[in-house]
Amino acid sequence: MKPLALLLALVFFVLGILYGLGTINAFTKSGTTHEHHITHLVLCWVLALLALVWYRFQSSTDGVRR
Amino acid sequence: MGGSPRYWGVPQCSVTDLQALILALLQGVSELFPISSLGHTILVPALLHWTNIDRSNPTFLAFVVVLHLGTALALIVYYRARWWAIVRALIASIVRGRLSSDRDERIGWLLVVGTIPVGILGVIFEEPVRELFGSPAPAAAFLAINGLVMFAGEALRRRQLADPSRADRPMEHLSFAQSALVGVAQSFALLPGISRSGASMVAGLLCDLDHEDAAEFSFLLATPVIFAAALLETRHLVAPGTHVVLFQAIAGGIVAAIAAYLSVAFLMRYFRSNDLRPFGWYCLIVGVCCFILSKRGFLS
Repeated sequence: MKPLALLLALVFFVLGILYGLGTINAFTKSGTTHEHHITHLVLCWVLALLALVWYRFQSSTDGVRR
Repeated sequence: MGGSPRYWGVPQCSVTDLQALILALLQGVSELFPISSLGHTILVPALLHWTNIDRSNPTFLAFVVVLHLGTALALIVYYRARWWAIVRALIASIVRGRLSSDRDERIGWLLVVGTIPVGILGVIFEEPVRELFGSPAPAAAFLAINGLVMFAGEALRRRQLADPSRADRPMEHLSFAQSALVGVAQSFALLPGISRSGASMVAGLLCDLDHEDAAEFSFLLATPVIFAAALLETRHLVAPGTHVVLFQAIAGGIVAAIAAYLSVAFLMRYFRSNDLRPFGWYCLIVGVCCFILSKRGFLS
């Protein structure tokens, strides 16, 4: 599951950047409002952070097993 | 706002001091009572024919942001000791890199997991849902449905209690899947008329929490959501012309905070020995009456 956690973190981080730049308009109100993209950016980066926390927990579990 | 006064080209929010006071009280109380704050902030102005309120006006949005901040701060202050313990336990577990059996840590991660569905569904669906259902008739219909959901939740809860194989458990014994389920239930509050605390309490009850724990978990789960939603909307506070509503916003925020604090204190005591049915009756009766009034054209 460690690669999945890292992959999710990366995907959410990149998605956040793309929303912030306005490249992605999916699930935004008008598809163009910049302020709405900021909300999506924040959400994506919070999810990326949580994926990194998940990765951290798994890394520690691996260390204990070894 | 058609004929409203303007300030340097910005349409002004013409909320009177009395309206501001009533809206603040309404927000502080109905955000935590399981009766839907969003539904009430649509229905009450419609019932009182407050046609001067424009919900899309930047100054009105700034006013609403301060009310939400006040409510969130009241929840944080009420649960300050619990939040302090939870945040410390969460940070300790991240530094340690593994979960422990600590109660606060467990509750903290349950709240994180429960907040994820609310965050995702809220960001995606909040605006389309409000555009579709943000008028009195749908809000009244959903308020009545909210009442029925509480009755159904209480009926299922009584059936669970009759089952000897099931027993109440403390909130830290919820599974992460159950916490996510409570979070999904809370997301239904995006619909005007569906109560955030009502939906999450019913879900908590169905996960074998007692009323007091279901209420506490619901309020803890609501705190980051209300606070984050208000913070993300703080841009409205710097919109041109918002200084005109500064006094109303600050006074309203304080009133909302006091009302919210008293509400949560009352509800935590109430749910030690009472259930959701009185709120269910209230929502059902008010929802049906408002729906009939809106269909007959009495709600503006």
